Formats: sequence, C-alpha cells, structure tokens
Amino acid sequence: MIDKFKAAFREEAYELLGQLEDTLLELEVQPHNSELINAAFRAIHTVKGSSAMFGFETISRFTHEIETVLDQCRNGVLSITKDFIGLTLIARDHLRKLLEYDEPPPQELANAGGGILERYRIFSGKGSIEAGKNISSGKTPEGTFSNEMAAATFRIFFKPDAEIFMDGTRVLNLVEELAGLGQATVFPHTESIPNLDSIDPEKCYCYWDIILTTTKDENAIRDVFIFVENHAEIRVERIVEAPLDEEGRSKRLGEILVDRGIVSAATLKDALSSQKKLGEVLVEKHVASKPQIESALVEQEHLKKVQDRTELGTGSIRVASDKLDALVDLVGELVTLQARLARTSLDLKDASLASISEQFERLIAQLRDNTMSIRMLPIGSTFNKFRRVVRDLSIELGKEAELLTEGAETELDKTVIEKLGDPLVHIIRNSIDHGIERPNERELAGKSRKGSILLSARHSGAYVLIQVSDDGKGLDKEAIQQKALERGIITPGQDISEQELYQLIFAPGFSTAKAVTTVSGRGVGMDVVKREIDSLSGSVTLGTEAGRGTLVTLKIPLTLAIIEGLLVRIADEYFVFPLSSVDGCIEIRKQELESLGDKRILSYREELVPYVELRDFFESDGESPQIQQIVITQSQDNRVGFVVDQVVGDYQTVIKPLGRMFRDIDGISGATILGDGTVALILDVNRLSLVAQKDGLRKMGRGV
Amino acid sequence: MPDTKAIAPTIVNLSGTYMIDRSSALKAELWAAIVGSDRVLVSLSLAEDLDLACLQVLYSARRFARATGKELRFVGSVPSRIVERLSSCGFLHGSPQRAEDFEAVLQDF
Repeated sequence: MIDKFKAAFREEAYELLGQLEDTLLELEVQPHNSELINAAFRAIHTVKGSSAMFGFETISRFTHEIETVLDQCRNGVLSITKDFIGLTLIARDHLRKLLEYDEPPPQELANAGGGILERYRIFSGKGSIEAGKNISSGKTPEGTFSNEMAAATFRIFFKPDAEIFMDGTRVLNLVEELAGLGQATVFPHTESIPNLDSIDPEKCYCYWDIILTTTKDENAIRDVFIFVENHAEIRVERIVEAPLDEEGRSKRLGEILVDRGIVSAATLKDALSSQKKLGEVLVEKHVASKPQIESALVEQEHLKKVQDRTELGTGSIRVASDKLDALVDLVGELVTLQARLARTSLDLKDASLASISEQFERLIAQLRDNTMSIRMLPIGSTFNKFRRVVRDLSIELGKEAELLTEGAETELDKTVIEKLGDPLVHIIRNSIDHGIERPNERELAGKSRKGSILLSARHSGAYVLIQVSDDGKGLDKEAIQQKALERGIITPGQDISEQELYQLIFAPGFSTAKAVTTVSGRGVGMDVVKREIDSLSGSVTLGTEAGRGTLVTLKIPLTLAIIEGLLVRIADEYFVFPLSSVDGCIEIRKQELESLGDKRILSYREELVPYVELRDFFESDGESPQIQQIVITQSQDNRVGFVVDQVVGDYQTVIKPLGRMFRDIDGISGATILGDGTVALILDVNRLSLVAQKDGLRKMGRGV
Repeated sequence: MPDTKAIAPTIVNLSGTYMIDRSSALKAELWAAIVGSDRVLVSLSLAEDLDLACLQVLYSARRFARATGKELRFVGSVPSRIVERLSSCGFLHGSPQRAEDFEAVLQDF
C-alpha cells in the first residue's frame, strides 16, 4: 500500500516539476510577473509538503531551502535573474533525479544537492536586494481583501461612445484602473467589432460588464470615469448578495438577467416553463443575446467565488496510463472477436445472429472511438520540453534562438507522442547547431540576431504533420556532397538529384560537422530520427533553401493501436494495407499485366505509376489468377501500385507487434488476427514503395 | 519535396507601441497580408503595448480571415505588458506567454 502511495507521490511530483520547468522558462522572459513567481513557489511548496508526508526527507529538506529563496523573491526581497532561473532549473533536474530513489539517495546525489544549495545561499546573500520593493503587479490577488467584512460587490456597465478615441482617451487604462480597485471579473463585449473590410479603426466598438468586489465605495468607482462621463454610458449598481442555494449558487441566472434589466419577470417565468436551458430559450426567442447570457453567467460565477472560496471541481480524474493501455488491448480483443462473430454469422446464415453481430459491431466501433479518444493527448505536452532544449543549447553554443510553437492543441495517440520526443529533440538540436547562425553572422546576413525555430503540428487526414522549420542558413549542399563522396556513398560524377542528396543526411553515421561537439558531429541523430519515425509508420522529408532555412516534416499516423485497413489476399495469405495510404484500386487481366513488360510501370489517372507484384515480392506459391487487382497507394508524395490476387474489403485492424524473429522483415510493419483466427500481415507501404521506386529506376536505367 | 517558399506563411511583425495613431496602418498591413496569403502569422513578440483601437483591428482581421477562408494566428511570445493589460480588461483568462495559449484564451477571438 505504501508503495502505491509513493508511486502516486512520484507521479504528482513529476507533473509538478514539469509545470515548474515551464513556469521558470516563462519567468525568464517575464521576471516581474508575480503570478509566475507564485506558481513556481506553489509547485515547490507542494513537492515539499508531499515529500515530507511520504518520507522523502532529502527532497523535503532540499525543497525547503529553495522554497525559502522563492519566498524572498515573492516578497520582493530578491530579484529574479537569469542566474537564478538557471540555478532553479538545475535544482529542478536534481529533484527529478532524487525522485528515482527511495531514502536515502546515493551519496554522490546528496553531495550534488549540497552544491546546489550552496549556490542558493550565495544567491540569497549576494542577490540584488531591493528591500521594500514589491514586485507584484499592483492588482489585488484573487480571493484576498484587506477588509473582507466591508467588501461589497458592484455591477458596472461601461460603454464608451464610438468616437471616444478621438479625444485621446485610453479606454483600456480606465478598465485596468477600475479592475485594480478590488477583485474584478471583467467581461468585454467584442461582438460589435466588424470585419476588416468595414471597420473604422478609429472608432470604439467594445463595451464592458464588470463585476467588482471591493472595499471602496461607489464614489471611488465613479471617480475612475470622471473624465469620460459625457463620452460613455456608465451604470454602477450594488449587487445584493443572497446566500448560496443547494447547488452552491448565490443567484440564479434568471435573477441576474432580471436585475440587469435584460428580461422582464414575466418573460423569465415564461422561459422557465420550457424544458430547455434558460439561456438557450432566451437566445432562441431573441430576448437576450449570447454574450449577454455569457456575461450574466460570469457574474454568477463571480458571486459564487466571492461567497464560496472553494475551487470548482475540474470534472476530470487521473487514471494510470497502464490502465488505459490495458483498456485499449481489451477493445482490440473485442474487435477481433467481433470479426469472428461476423464471420460465424455469415457461415451459419442465421438472420438473428447476423442482427446481433451488426449491433455488436456498431457498439464496438463506438467503444473503439471513445477509448482511442481517451488516449489522445495534445502534442503541446511534448512541445514544452523543447523550450528547455532550445534555451540550454543556445546558451551552450553562444547563439540566440527562440522556439515558436503552433498547433500545440493538436491531439495524437499517447503512445505516438511518447515515441516522438527523441526524434524531435534531435531535429531541434540540429536546427540550432547546424541551422541557426551565430548572432553576428545573422546580422551580417541581414537577419535579426535571434534565430527562430517554428515547431508546428496539424492534422492531415489520418496523419499529423509535425514541422520543424528554422530561419538559419539552410543545408550546405557542397558539404553534403563532399562528405558523401568521402564516405563512398556516391561516386564522383554520379548523377544525383538535390532531393536525393539531402536525403543522405539520414544515412547512418553521416555528419558534415567539422568538429565533434557534445551536440552533434558524431553522425548519430538524423538516422535515429529516420528509424524512429519509420517505426511509427511515419515518414520524414526535408526542404531547404540556402540562406533562408530548413524545414523538416514528419508525417505521423494518429494512432498505432487500431486502424482502418484494406484486406487483400495473395495465394492463401492475407495482408492489410493501412486504408489511409490507399488511393484506389483497379482491376487488370493477367494478359494486360504481362503486356506491360518488365518495366512495371502503368498509367493511372494520367500519371505513370510504378507497381510491385506482391506475389513475386513475397515469393508466394502457385499461379496468379486471370483477373488481378492493383492497389494504388500514396506514400510520401508518390503513387505506387501493388498487384494482389484479390481485394477482400475494408477491415478494422488491431495492430499486433511482430515477434523478435520477424521484426526486421522488409515491407511488413505488424500483424493482425482475422475473424477465423488466421494471421494477416500489415504492409509497410513506405518501405515497399521505396523498393518499388528503386526497382523501377534500376529497370528504366537498364532500358528494359 | 516541400520547400520553405511553398509553405511559408506571411508573417506580420508588430514592433513597438500600438496605439490609435497606428490603427489605420495596422489595418492596411493586415489587409494586404490576408489578401495576399492563405496563412498569416502575427507576432507580438516585439510589440511593447497595445491599445483598444489596435486590438479591435486584430479581432477584425481574424474575423475577416475566417470569413474569407484564410487563417490568421499568433506566433511567438506575448510581452508581459500586453498580457497584463488585456488580462485586467477581461480579454484574457490567465497569463499566457506563448502566442498559441494567448490566442486560445483571448475572449471571443
């Protein structure tokens, strides 16, 4: 039981340390942001408390010291500096290491901790002391009042005239000043802002509903607007607070809307008789607008917060990831069983069994989708750690680089996300080391001193496209060519396209770095990237332009657990194409196929497409049938056809990994079990396509 | 193989203080970017301050981009002064520093 609690503590602590890292990196950019300082303090404070509770005394003592220093930063006694951020990041890494051990940790780790704490002591002794200077933003922290008993809540409506900017009024300053009077919930109305083709940029289109709980009186509120009284509609009214009802609400939505004069009591009574939600009814009847309802709900929330300072539940629970994996495995078994049931119902020709099978199939499909969606995580959880990579590496290499991210909310299966971490680190490290120039070189090239690396993710069908682009110097074509010649990968005078040349950087041991550094130059990296991405059934491509930068694109399937497949047969064997790779199927007679000759190129949608006879590739027994099918696939911007005996149809494919013996078979990425218990192999379309292209080029070169 | 030119979005870099006096110029710049590109990325990294007039133009540009089937997004980091100001005025929920978080919590954007 104790172990279970310790495991839960470690899980929570890792999460908190992850948050701490993000907070520290943000704090580095905004050293005076009091919310960030508080967040860092809270993370350390929580780790300290829980570690003491579960007997991790070394961690507890270590965090106590950091907490003390952070508290001084929080109180404005010490300033946040770059050195402090660097030190706290080191301390955070040290805590992660400590978490790997039970008490007591190894001596060398304890010694390292002592060294870090010594640096903290030096920092707090020498730290730039700014006594008396408070680094808070000046806003009243949420939930704290200097005189809580005297606090009252006001509802303020502020609608500036359209022409208010013309006399130099800074509208946002007024709202900020008002919000600074207490605990404010500010709701701006932006719905009146027109499209760019019709906006007058010198007119004001916004207005505000503000709920303010403050110890100040109404006059202090009105004073904020003293110079714009004639240029704005201003209403200030005190809200009479009611005790919380059984659902924890101070006021019902309807009451707030009546108080605000948006609906009459009679209209409210009428709307309440409907079974629908009140807000929806009022919007449908055009009695209130959606923003008016949202604003009233915000007021309700504010009142609840003020009266009941307990936090709302998040509506989510924490589940161990191995439980989720087990659930997906079970769903996989169910999918396989369902295929068997469908097969049996067909064989028995039993109508009632067929009906049950169909219902079962529908339910399983829903269960599969729901289960897979639970495993989907936003890729941003991975993005965060790269900010640290960029920070540390640019400092190490004396460069200036910023990581920009886009599409962090893009969701991907958790297993895929876990496997993406290392390849992305390699790519980003390469971007900083090889791509981004030193600040003075960048200035000479007419660029900003600080380089940018854009990490973006977006969905594209059953795939996610992850792109890493930098604004560095681009790939050095000559250097790659020279290295390839030295290593005998190409021969002098060999006709090789630019694209093929760039692909060489994915070859094992290939590196153009002139010196081996801790970052790169050992020639390991991009080949590892390629291997890892291949193992995810994904692909990696490169684009580059001299002086402008490099773009690496990873195309990754959304999930590796259950996919839609196209089941085909060759002799007595079954194979599955991932449906997302299939572009179409064509039927072809044996004589027609033979007439195409050994070039193995056919015309498909006015395009010459190479094809592979899978019968030959897998050395299957027997004669091919008179009528065969060609499955046309799309892989890495190329179409390739695969000749099979028969296309059976679409098939929900539960991917099973191949055993060690079969793991390295070219062209096969996994296996699945069919309804009758036989095994079908899942084809690796990327690998097969490469084989087809090489084979086709070779034959065309020979003029066969 | 994709090249950087083919996928490159138009980047609008806001630099300095954006008050009423620059709102018309900002409108023109965003208009040109959206009309000329399917994907416009606005960076606030170098912006020092932003007043309501220019904020309205950004909202307006986003709505225009959406209406014309284009994409307008923020990239980079968002200066703390802007975050603080917009947060105090109710446009932001929380204190996002990265553009994508900023965009996600920008009221009604």
